[in-house]
Amino acid sequence: MTERVGITRRAVTKSAVAGIALAAVPFWPRRAVAAEPIKIGMPLALTGPLGSVGQQLKRGGELWAKTQNAKGGLVGRQIQLFIEDTGGNPADAVRKAQELVERDGCNIFTGITLSSEALAVVPKLEEWKAIFVSSDNGDGRLTAESFVPNFFRSNISAPMGARAVSLFLRESEWQNVYAIGMDYAWGRNSVQVFESEMKRAKKNFIGSVFSPIGTKDFSTYITKIRQSGAEAVYITMAGDDYNAFLAQAAQYRLPDKVQLLSEVVDLTVPRAVGDAALGLISSMRYCFRLDNPKNKEFVALWQKEYGAVPDNNEGEQWQALQVLAAGIEKAGSTDTTALRSALETVAIDDIKGRVAVRKCDHQAVQAGYMVKLVKADGFSYPVPQIIATYPDDKTTPACNKMTFED
Amino acid sequence: MSLLAFFVTQSLNALSQAALLFFLGVGLTLIFGIMRIVNFAHGTLYMLGAFVGYSVARLTGSFWAALLLAPLAVGLVGMLFEFAILRRLYQREASAFLMVTFGLALVLGEIIRLAWGPDALQVEAPQTFAGIVFLLDEPFPTYRLFLAGAGIIVAVTIWQFLDRTRLGLLIRAASQNPEMVSALGTDVNLLRSAVFGIGCGLAGIGGVLAAPLVTASVGMAATMIIDAFVIVIIGGMGSFLGSLIAALLVAFTQVFGEYYLPDLALAFMYLLMLLVLVVRPGGLLGKEA
Amino acid sequence: MLALAPFALPLYAMTLLTEALILGLFAMSLDLMVGYTRLLSFGHAAAFGFGAYASGWLLLHTQISMLCAVPLAALLAGIVAIGVAWVCTYATGVSFSMLTLAFAQLLYAIAFKWTSVTGGSDGLAGIPRRPGPFGFAAFGSRAGFYYLTLIALTAAFAFCRALVHSPFGAVLRGIRENEAKTLALGYNTRLYKIAVVALAYALGGLAGALYAPFAGFANTELVFWLFSGQVLIMVIVGGSGTLIGPILGAAFFLVVEHQLSNYTEAWALFFGLIFIAFVIFAPEGIWGLLTARFGRAGGETR
Repeated sequence: MTERVGITRRAVTKSAVAGIALAAVPFWPRRAVAAEPIKIGMPLALTGPLGSVGQQLKRGGELWAKTQNAKGGLVGRQIQLFIEDTGGNPADAVRKAQELVERDGCNIFTGITLSSEALAVVPKLEEWKAIFVSSDNGDGRLTAESFVPNFFRSNISAPMGARAVSLFLRESEWQNVYAIGMDYAWGRNSVQVFESEMKRAKKNFIGSVFSPIGTKDFSTYITKIRQSGAEAVYITMAGDDYNAFLAQAAQYRLPDKVQLLSEVVDLTVPRAVGDAALGLISSMRYCFRLDNPKNKEFVALWQKEYGAVPDNNEGEQWQALQVLAAGIEKAGSTDTTALRSALETVAIDDIKGRVAVRKCDHQAVQAGYMVKLVKADGFSYPVPQIIATYPDDKTTPACNKMTFED
Repeated sequence: MSLLAFFVTQSLNALSQAALLFFLGVGLTLIFGIMRIVNFAHGTLYMLGAFVGYSVARLTGSFWAALLLAPLAVGLVGMLFEFAILRRLYQREASAFLMVTFGLALVLGEIIRLAWGPDALQVEAPQTFAGIVFLLDEPFPTYRLFLAGAGIIVAVTIWQFLDRTRLGLLIRAASQNPEMVSALGTDVNLLRSAVFGIGCGLAGIGGVLAAPLVTASVGMAATMIIDAFVIVIIGGMGSFLGSLIAALLVAFTQVFGEYYLPDLALAFMYLLMLLVLVVRPGGLLGKEA
Repeated sequence: MLALAPFALPLYAMTLLTEALILGLFAMSLDLMVGYTRLLSFGHAAAFGFGAYASGWLLLHTQISMLCAVPLAALLAGIVAIGVAWVCTYATGVSFSMLTLAFAQLLYAIAFKWTSVTGGSDGLAGIPRRPGPFGFAAFGSRAGFYYLTLIALTAAFAFCRALVHSPFGAVLRGIRENEAKTLALGYNTRLYKIAVVALAYALGGLAGALYAPFAGFANTELVFWLFSGQVLIMVIVGGSGTLIGPILGAAFFLVVEHQLSNYTEAWALFFGLIFIAFVIFAPEGIWGLLTARFGRAGGETR
């Protein structure tokens, strides 16, 4: 679905015609033709298994564009979002992105939902002369071996999430840890980073197990975790698999014996499994609880528009667009080369506090934090409470790498 | 964990898994056996059961109401579809049914997404079965015992139904020889509607019962449909007993296989399927060769 | 008139058209099995995926050009298919279909897990369009690749056409109508079935092999059962047993899905309704509709 948010074609035509008409009259004071809108392409997974994530990114984008345009847009131009559904399929993502570039003239992308979609699109960015600011893709390789200059990552990556969990574990009394991940690139990569972090922290990493995507019955895996003798287990899961695992783990009373820790969690998780998520400790990429004026303003704005608190990916999408905006203002234009160099050194102070893009691998350096899901007034499901915060230099990996220097 | 406790708990896990697989497999195999239709929408009907179950449970506060009403609703949807669409196609080739059930899967899947939204929804297990029992000192969820029990009850019910009721007899006869049955004066149309409805209803039961374990989510259909197919293929298309045996076989292979060889977890079902088909091309108890 | 497309269409439409041609080739290859021999395959994505991974791997890890990698990958697909076909043709009817599904899913599992060769869940990315020496550089460009695909499709079509009109094709039709009788006439039907499956997989592999440099990546979705289901739908919607029908079906499927999803998130709903409508109102598929309307051109007999 292509949506034009902000202004319609008719409005552009009308103002263009008006402008030309006015310019034709010699003694009439010249008024400038309405400036070309800033076109941002968002090929999202709006349907399919990760549809709920794509919908979050869409809401984030739409509210941002609306708010920005109400303030007069950016560098005097209105924002125009082009939102299309990829269904979570990398082939569709590439096709739609290409169409957005060639048919609609977008040279900026954000909101590509799955890392697999991002990995397929990223090699084409140079050919399309397009910039991509990631709001959701966690795969470590996007700033390491799969890095391309036109790629920028505004969000917390998977290695950064794993790192936050490791730092938390360091300070804890738990010695023996186990890990479980979904058996594909993200799961494997995250557990690998976590394992090396555990070894460096001199904790006992007992072992790990991986479940195929689409696993419905986790009883065997729960048994393995229980048998391992671990005091804490690191979980890299998402979507339906994660919900099923948590629901079943609670049924087996696993959390009574082993502390569950995870790399990332959305509010959709406790909404889907209810009390089964109580006591879960996780790294989170954006939390509505963050205590700073910009975030409070953002949360209030979000609640007014959508009637709920902003979720993990909604906040990340907002931040990504704020980073982009800062880059556009710094460059004074949306020209790809100018925008790229502006973004390389841009820094903002926004809903997650200070966030600064670094030149070497275009990762946004930012603080990391851990949350615990607890009961709270006003919510019918467990919600995150921030229990630890880590400074940005401790949680961001070495340049172009997925490892950390302590 | 002692070895005995391990085997007992894992076997019970397998039984509960087998129950869910059985609910889907038996419906699919019945539909194929009588109507020669490969129902691609079976996973979507299962999913519908979960979501309708969610809504009924929300409205009434009772899981049991959901378990009763959701399968009825799904069965009704199935019968409606059979009446409106499938009935026009009985003279046609298998490919027509493939397309039309594929189309139904798409349409129904999207309707579910539009009606209930893209987020996963919680369905709580009933109070009676929300706790744990200690089996040889290992905690085991009572809900899974309930599932295994439900599987046994449904299996026995279907067996008795096929064996002793008139409709059951007709169904068995029709799966052997459809032409003869209609020559005997039975309203074959009614028979087909009933079978399709029952098959869909069984999928609906599977959906409601699975929901407390996996939540009601729009991705459910895709992950379950392939499992259902494998059960039916291994068991033999059209064989009730076959689907029962296959469900047990797959569940036990899966549970113990995952434990000892987790790297092959993705492939177990298909290796098993291949093995069975090479030895018995029609499935374990199937009639086609 | 397809040859003039690059001059008439905007760039992004060209990409869509090229993809339509590739899928058309894929669907046509399946038609050999489904339409002419009544061998319903639920695992044809295995051919496409295998071809894509093979040519992708060759283009990434060796210096050979597309013009060598693509046919080589197709050939490999055909050879591997002989083994698969030999096992699958043990069975007939639905069991045959299920065996093809089993093999495809096994290939999926292998592609997913054998990360060192296939890139695992990420697949192979950044596959180059290496056009090759001797002035074939033109094939690397958008229009050039389009022509390459057009040539491949036309050649494959000509080959299939000749095949189905040959004595070999007659035996296939015999198997389709009445295998027992054909067997009784003395033909080793199993051998013919293996042959047609191998050919179908080789051509399907050709389509996949073209896809890898086209899209620049190959991933596990290309081997997934959903894709197998989709290509089967393309054949049926287009009109099975006509060779041209499936090509139209593939183009129809791709373009309609693309355009529908541009307009509404609920595109799957309309898509499904379209299939149901086709089954009820246009059982001969798109080709059937066209020929009914405009009369049969060239006397395509089924």
